[in-house]
Parts: sequence; structure tokens; C-alpha cells
Amino acid sequence: MRTFDKTSLPEKVLLTGSDCFHLVLDKHAHIHHAGSNVMRIVFYFNTRLSVANIKKTLGNSPLIYWLCNVKLLKGLFFAKPRWRYKDKGNEMVINEYHHAVLNEIPEIILQRDIPLDGNQFVEADLVYYPGNKTSFILSWNHILMDGRGIGMLVQHLNELSSGHSNQQIKQLFPAREKKTGLFRYIKNMYTIKKFIEKSSKAPIASIARKNSESTVAFKNRIIHFTAEETNRINEQAFQNGARFGANLYYLSCSAHAVNNINKQRKKAGVMWIPVPYDGRLKGSLGPVISNTVAFLFYRVPVTAFASVKQTVTCFSTQMTEQIKDKMPQKYSILLNMMRHIPLRLYYFLVNRSGKGSFASFLYSSTGETFNNIKTLFGETVSGLTIFPSPTFPPGLTFSFLKHREALNINIAYSPDIVNYEELNWIELDLKNILLGKS
Amino acid sequence: MDENIIIAEIKKFIETNILAGDIMLEADTILQNIGIDSFSIVEIMLFIQQNYNILIPDDQLVPENFRTLNSLARLVNKLLV
Repeated sequence: MRTFDKTSLPEKVLLTGSDCFHLVLDKHAHIHHAGSNVMRIVFYFNTRLSVANIKKTLGNSPLIYWLCNVKLLKGLFFAKPRWRYKDKGNEMVINEYHHAVLNEIPEIILQRDIPLDGNQFVEADLVYYPGNKTSFILSWNHILMDGRGIGMLVQHLNELSSGHSNQQIKQLFPAREKKTGLFRYIKNMYTIKKFIEKSSKAPIASIARKNSESTVAFKNRIIHFTAEETNRINEQAFQNGARFGANLYYLSCSAHAVNNINKQRKKAGVMWIPVPYDGRLKGSLGPVISNTVAFLFYRVPVTAFASVKQTVTCFSTQMTEQIKDKMPQKYSILLNMMRHIPLRLYYFLVNRSGKGSFASFLYSSTGETFNNIKTLFGETVSGLTIFPSPTFPPGLTFSFLKHREALNINIAYSPDIVNYEELNWIELDLKNILLGKS
Repeated sequence: MDENIIIAEIKKFIETNILAGDIMLEADTILQNIGIDSFSIVEIMLFIQQNYNILIPDDQLVPENFRTLNSLARLVNKLLV
């Protein structure tokens, strides 16, 4: 029996500025034939999961029910895009597969699109392996949720499984927006436009080549570290100047690995890297729905690659300056304003302002969000990884995730951008740099 | 300076600008345990530098000094002397 009131679900949820930027990225991905803007999270279990148990938990979630019954209404004549909920009685379908290679995710799942004109934006898959092991995969269009949101969704599902949920439905959805005055909008837009133009000034050394086209599907390579190795990485991070968490060290090591490939290609130069910045209040249980991230934009001069420590210092200085100047908040205001613009015009403006240059590579870290996830559906989670959405160009994304004090990195790459030998090199190089071996 | 006053001022800043409304923050609450991340630590550091007109030297930018409101207040007092 359902434990929530379906009539209390919101009928209309406006897309945030960040959601709408993902609409642009989705369009961009389709134009470059790089698939959809789909993210996936994979939970590994050393037990065989019961479909009935999963269905029971998902069936009790107001959030899952809402997600199965929404439709995207794109903006029209300067009206903001929105999700419209209509109770059609749709439930989450769980697809089941049997796979011989332990912990490998079948390609049919990884390559499946979740188009914006479809009827469902979240999908669940269960893969059974030999030895009674299982993986549970949740896939969603990035327009709906960001990585932090999915962390909150897991927390929400765990509370439902334990039967002790105190969450209110309204906490799960974005709150009513505060209005910003027109003058502040214009001032912010000018400041952030100038800043991004200066920060991304050409020439930028990107892993992608100009005029690249995506001809084959994205692939993934996952690097696993033990808890002991992760501890050593944390020590290296501290010694290299990352004083409050290893995030800037991860980013610096990734930048070095990409710079080393660029050197091999004889095109090393200044890098430009946008890095997500979660704008939610800390300790909050929501919103789960909507992207709430802004970005910090880092420009890395060639001189900063003299050592990893110097790269960390370069990132740290720019991070402090941008937080001091409230750049992420200003960027969010800009994105919120851009929602009023029709998608085609928005896409044209983004493309024109980029003048053909794009990020050197993409990077994200889930920080502590998933570190303490011990169970899902009442079963012990033995491992966890995130498959970032494919973004082309640049066609190379590093996604760092820590679970039970052990780090893993999911590298999503386009074979049109990074070939097999180069990827092997990146993997080995990144491992060695992180562990302080080179 | 009275450490209780420093604690109250930093607490007010964190509650107003960083934390969700229903999160309890006490003088000995471990900040990382309530979701304070590295970006938030930078915000707290900038607030302290501006509010008390002090510069936190590099060798004092260590997790121990940013662990709780108590340790932050001790750091501020040490730098004010």
C-alpha cells in the first residue's frame, strides 16, 4: 500500500537556470552525435537482490512516482521551461539482465538514451552476475538531477527502507525562487560575462581537437584505489597544499595527466577548466530535483605545471578569489536569466560566445556525498561508481567518487578524442601522480 | 577577546550563509559532520579575515583549526594577540 498522498505532489516545477544549461548541453550532444546527457550511478552488491523488495521501496517513494509521471514542457515565447506532473499511474520499471563478466555493466544499458521527448526520465536496471552478486543501476537525464541530488535520493530511499522517513515532500523539490531586480541581473551579467571571457581567452589547450566530430559512442574506464592507497593520496594532497580535502589535488593531478598527453601531441598550453560548485545549503535534505550547481572557472598557465604543488596553489588562489567575489552566485543569476531565452537562441549565443574554444577537459568530484553509503534496499553496498554524462567536446571527463574511504575514478572518454594507447597512458600517469610516484 | 563572542559571531555567519535552517550548530559540533565542505571552509576563512581584520597564515590553514567553532575561536584569539 502506498504511504504517500499523490495529490500532494507538485503539478509544475520550473527548470532552474542550471537545468536549462543542461538543455543546451543536450542539444549540443545531439548535434555532435554524442548521445544524450545521461548520468548513471551503479551500486554493487555481494548478494542477490530481490526485485520485489526494490519495487516495494521504489513504490513507496513520492519522488520516484513523480519522476515516472512528468513531462518536459520546453519554453515557448519567453515562457520558462517546466516539468508538468500528471498522475498517469506510471510506476518504475526494473529491467533485469544476466551478465557473465563480474561487475561489468552491459553495453545495452550504458548506450541507452533517455530522450527529452520521452515519457520517462529515470530508469532502473538490475544485473545478476555469477556467484549471486548483483549491481543496481539508476540512469537519469542530467536535466532532472545533479550528483548531489542523487546522493539525497539514495538517502531518501534508505529512509523509506528503514521505515523512518521524516522528509516532507516539499523538501524534495526546489523552493520558490527569490526575485532578483533587473538592475542586479544586468550588473551580474556584465561582470560574469567579462570574467568568463577573460578566463577562457584563446588560445586554450584542450584535449579535443578543433572541428572534431563524435563518430563512436563514449566509453568508460574505472580506476580503483584501496582504502590504504586512498589514505596515501590524502597525505599527498595535504603535502601538496590541498589543506581542506583532496579535491584540488585530484583536479591538479587530472590536469597534469591531460597536460602530459598534450605535450606528447606537441600542443601543451594554457588550460581552462570549469568545475561544478554545489549551491545548496549544507546539511539540507533537498532539493533532490533540479541542478543546483554553478561553476568555478580555472585558468591554468603553463608555468603552474612546474609541479603538482604549484598547480594546487594556482587552483587554490583562483578558488578563493572567485568565492570572495561571489562568482558562483553571479553565474547562477546569469543562468536563471538565460532561461527566458528560447532554446535555439540560447544555443546560438553559447556557441557564438565560445568562438570555437571549449574546456580543456571536464572534472567532477562527489566529495563526501557517497562515502558513508552502507546500504540500499536494506542490503550492504559493496561498491559504488558514477558514470558521468558524455559531453562532446571536450570528450574527456574525470569523475572522482569516494565510497567507504576508497577512491575510484570513472573516466568517460570519446575514442574520437583519446585513443586506446593514450587512455592507457592517462590511467597509469594519473595513478602515479595521485600516489606521489612521479 | 571573549571566545564566546567570537563563537557567537562565527556561528551566526555560518547559520545565515552556509547551513540549512534545521541543522543544529554547537560550539563543539564537528563542522565536516554537518556537511561543511572545502568551499564552505574558504567562505568561513574569508569571513574571519574580514571581520577580525587578520590574515590567517599558511601554516595555520590546517584542518585542526577549522574543526569546530571552539577551535576557530581559539585560532582567532591567537592571531589577535
